Amino acid sequence: MIERLGLHVLPHATSTELHWVLLVLGLPLLMGVLGALTRPVRSWPVILVCLLPLVALALLSRQVLDEGAQAWLIALGPLELHWRANALTLLLLLLTQLLTLTSAAYAPAYLSVEIGARVGQAWLWPLQGALASSLSLIWLAGDLLTLYIGLELMGLAAVGLMLLPGRVEALAAGMRYLLLALVGSLAFLLGVALLLGAWQRLDLAGLALAAEPGPLLWVAVALLSAGLLLKAAIFPLHAWLAPVHGAAWTPVSALHAALVVKGSFFIALQLILVLVPGASVAGWLLGAMGSAAVVWGGLLAWRAAKLKDVVAWSTVSQLGYLMLGLALMVGTSPSVSAAAWEGTWLQLAAHSLAKAGMFFATGNLVFSTRQSSVRGLAGVSRGMPLSLLSFGIASISLIGLPPSGGFTAKWLLLQAALEGGYWLWLTALAMGTLLGAAYVFRILRYSFVEGGELGEFRRVPWSMEILALMLALASLLLGLVAEWPLSLLRVAGGAP
Amino acid sequence: MPLFLEVLSALAMTVLAALTLLDRHMVRACAWFVFFALSVALTWWLSGFIWLALLELLLGAALTSLFLFHSLGMRRGEITPRGRLTRWRDPVPLTWRRGLLRLMPALLVMAMLGMALAAHPNESGTEPLRLGGLGLVGLGLWAFALHRHLLRRLLAFNVIGTGIFLMLMSLVRDTTPAAGHGLVITGLVIALLGTALGSLLIRRINGLEAFSAAAFHPPGRGAE
Amino acid sequence: MSQAWLPLATLATSLLMVPLIFALPERAWRLRTVLNLTAALLKLGLVALMVLGGYQGAEYRFSFTVVQGVTFLFQVDALGLMFAGLSSLLWLATTIYAIGYLEDSPNRKRFFGFFSLCVASTIGIALAGNLFTFLLFYELLTLSTYPLVVHRGHPKALAAGTVYLRYTLTGGLLLLLGVVALHALVGDVAFGERERLAELGPDAHLMLTVLFLILLLGLGVKAALVPLHGWLPRAMVAPAPVSALLHAVAVVKAGAFGIVRLVYDVYGIGLTYQLGLLTLLAVIATVTILYGSMRALAQQELKPRLAFSTVSQVSYIVLGISLFGPFGTIAGLVHLMHQGLMKVTLFYCAGNYAEELGIHRIDQLNGAGRRMPLTSIAFTVGALGMIGLPPVAGFISKWYLGMGAVQANMPWVIIVLVASSLLNAAYFLPILYRLWFRPGPAHGVGEWPEERHLGRFETSGWLLWPAVATALFSIMAGLFAGLPFSPLDLATFVTAEEYTP
Repeated sequence: MIERLGLHVLPHATSTELHWVLLVLGLPLLMGVLGALTRPVRSWPVILVCLLPLVALALLSRQVLDEGAQAWLIALGPLELHWRANALTLLLLLLTQLLTLTSAAYAPAYLSVEIGARVGQAWLWPLQGALASSLSLIWLAGDLLTLYIGLELMGLAAVGLMLLPGRVEALAAGMRYLLLALVGSLAFLLGVALLLGAWQRLDLAGLALAAEPGPLLWVAVALLSAGLLLKAAIFPLHAWLAPVHGAAWTPVSALHAALVVKGSFFIALQLILVLVPGASVAGWLLGAMGSAAVVWGGLLAWRAAKLKDVVAWSTVSQLGYLMLGLALMVGTSPSVSAAAWEGTWLQLAAHSLAKAGMFFATGNLVFSTRQSSVRGLAGVSRGMPLSLLSFGIASISLIGLPPSGGFTAKWLLLQAALEGGYWLWLTALAMGTLLGAAYVFRILRYSFVEGGELGEFRRVPWSMEILALMLALASLLLGLVAEWPLSLLRVAGGAP
Repeated sequence: MPLFLEVLSALAMTVLAALTLLDRHMVRACAWFVFFALSVALTWWLSGFIWLALLELLLGAALTSLFLFHSLGMRRGEITPRGRLTRWRDPVPLTWRRGLLRLMPALLVMAMLGMALAAHPNESGTEPLRLGGLGLVGLGLWAFALHRHLLRRLLAFNVIGTGIFLMLMSLVRDTTPAAGHGLVITGLVIALLGTALGSLLIRRINGLEAFSAAAFHPPGRGAE
Repeated sequence: MSQAWLPLATLATSLLMVPLIFALPERAWRLRTVLNLTAALLKLGLVALMVLGGYQGAEYRFSFTVVQGVTFLFQVDALGLMFAGLSSLLWLATTIYAIGYLEDSPNRKRFFGFFSLCVASTIGIALAGNLFTFLLFYELLTLSTYPLVVHRGHPKALAAGTVYLRYTLTGGLLLLLGVVALHALVGDVAFGERERLAELGPDAHLMLTVLFLILLLGLGVKAALVPLHGWLPRAMVAPAPVSALLHAVAVVKAGAFGIVRLVYDVYGIGLTYQLGLLTLLAVIATVTILYGSMRALAQQELKPRLAFSTVSQVSYIVLGISLFGPFGTIAGLVHLMHQGLMKVTLFYCAGNYAEELGIHRIDQLNGAGRRMPLTSIAFTVGALGMIGLPPVAGFISKWYLGMGAVQANMPWVIIVLVASSLLNAAYFLPILYRLWFRPGPAHGVGEWPEERHLGRFETSGWLLWPAVATALFSIMAGLFAGLPFSPLDLATFVTAEEYTP
């Protein structure tokens, strides 16, 4: 697992090749500040500027793909920070930058059409930049201090983004989210303190070797996981998610569901795989949580009356799949964990793309129909066919029907569960598919309703519709081209 | 630092934290918090962590308190604050059963912590600082679980954070103080940012006319 | 990998139509019609090209890796070509029919978009070279038919759509589980690599039996095997061309075709026989045939009667498969084609009656033969074929089924055949009697429920000619069964491949 996570690589003595990493980390923040100063009103300059970090990432990718996984040791006085980059890091960085780009490209039209000139507007850009930077830091981090910094920055940026609408519901939800994020970070810090006290080190690779099983390790891991899973809205710590999304701006919701919860999940996954790789008890626990999340999240989404709530609760259910994937990696045989490994990352990417696309589409639909409830969709297939199509395509991936990324991921997870004989997880995956179909088709069903009064549809700028469609299509096609990213995971510093 | 001084400072911190969290008058509670932060800074100083002491003084005692008072709607030069929040005497609208239910996670964390510390490999007697930190964490968790008032929860958050910092530094004092410093400084900055954000939010929510108690509390609970 | 483009191009002709149609504005119906017909003709041509090539031994293969150990594989074999030919032929007919049927109705763009997607998935199913690819298009078929079923948008249609999804998605899930399990057991099995499962030895037989049952359950939902048939009669609320398509080629046939693939190309008929699963199939088929016919007898409306008749007729395919021996196989395969031709004719005619005269119930059909002679002749041809009278195609199916039963040493099947033919006659002959021999509004007795005059002929030409054409094809398939490229010839060709090791 250490090898898969790219933690086994020793840092180079010279840190001259650090500049690409710093560019990748710093550019989003810089662009955010730029955005705040210029307040773009069109999409294309935003897209052009956002290509810069992608260029930096391409250069970093060349470095990694040519020379194998990279590790850096950054010394700040007596303090040492460990960073690393392997193929997984690159893919996560790519995902982050693409989603940030689309979200930023969606924003100008959204802000001008739906929000109007409001004071909070300008803050969207730097906060998005900070979010992208902190997420990049999380993907790159190889020690607990960097992870802590990244996690906290991400949390605060996310809270800030949630507060932007400035309405009472948004503020109330934001306050709840803030308290929760703070509690999560306290638990995380407590766990880190215990680890540091016991084994005197913060780098993950060293901890993996030094840590000995015992009550201390278990408590530390429990605290760390609890804090992170709270932030990742994993069942049973998920209740905060829907209210937060209900009040937030559409691009913010998209970014949050697609990336922020994944950031916390990624840290949790990393820590569990590094610290307790063989603990089958932990595996069962995680699997039970994941199964419960899949089922309960699906039920909540099924019962939700508001469109945005359906999408938000479906995140809980989808994160359950990720937890099941993680459970299949902890204390299982190599072949099982290999399939689960690939399935988990594919699921993560597919869900990010699909969920962001779905939030965009939902935002468009809600804006166009002026109704936030599921029932308000009647006749929408005539008024807003493109957004509805995006919604439909994205939901194919969420349900896990072919040929979407969600399907291929589910295939891998099913294969892992079958090979290992984990019938319970298999059942949960199957239930999730059916529930997913239930909550998605409940929405699509309303869109086919004919007759009755058709309301007026407001026009949505085409850039908003196109972006939703592109993300949805990306999640769909990912299922067929999955071998490309997965082979990268296997070859370039992924597997031993 | 001599043992008795350590015991003394740990006791002082605990008592001040308890006063902060128990006082039902919000302005007084915030004032107690200033003293609490000062005592923490003093403890850092006595333990030889000069930088932490200075930072605690600046971030914890000065800036955090500033934001707390700001959230209460107090202005410079005024002793009696404005705003409804200050007169909230924050009743605990909890039944026993619900309170116990809320306390369960807190108790669980405490039990786990005790277990972990007992299993600690380089355990050298019971350090007062560590116990003081544990006490702070316990107090803070208790307050966080039972109080509904947002400001109180922020206070509780700060107290827990301080407790964790104390435990952390007492654990790594002799081995890897640099890493400890890094974590604590990050933590302090985060705590300040979180408190600042929270305070501004409380103020803003309070200021919004449309704000009704229903947004936070189900009917029948909340403000007096 | 020779000429990989041909199967891909065949898929693309209808798949690429989807975005094109969706991109066109709703009112551009002329352009849409031209596009639809061009694509349908093009596809028919491409399939014909592949059939020709297939006879000459050309091999069409296209594959790429989706994830490690799982490939997307197009592999053209005779069986797939048979299905592809049937679906592209009937697509052409149904497109023409649908253009006439949906004239001036709302949401035509959406209809034709999903219609194309539906046909694309059917072609994908036909050309799929392994279970994974099959599953891919099988699920795509579910998704693309749902909007067609609920097309009308009224509560009954929506309810039917929900029931349809419940059945098919659950079936799809079971199929997925089965396919994944098969992958975990032996890896990626391309169709035709029968020895892979047979080599597993007797230890795996229990596992294989369980897997077969799971896969059968998954496929049986779409094939409407009793008791998994509940969605089919309800889906009748869909527009007539959709019903025709669902029953004749797309959904029901996809299920039946899947069972054919499962038995012949994955397990191999030998292994299936060895596991004792053929008997099970025969029993299920028998129950379905008899039950479907009984229920059809009880229906008072035309479309539900046809729907239950489908339940019954599709199981002839399964029955044919379950008879161990070349004749049984030929019977099953040939019926796959024949039933499609005949049933599509019947549904076109039912649609014509409903559109032109507003007839939905059987007792309203009195004397309709005089008012709409060509439609009624087509209907008669289809009905007689279903009963199994020569020279219509249905006779060939039943004849070979009987011979297969003798060959497989299962004489009781013949009794089933006779009983079912009698039942078929019992529910079709009264309709024919009413059509031709009872005086009705055309003779001045009573009135048609809702008469319209849609065209120069007895009804709109768009509606009439497809029905007449498919009726003609049904007769020709029976009359010229001995000629090359007839369904029987194709089926014999496939069977020869299956039984020669």
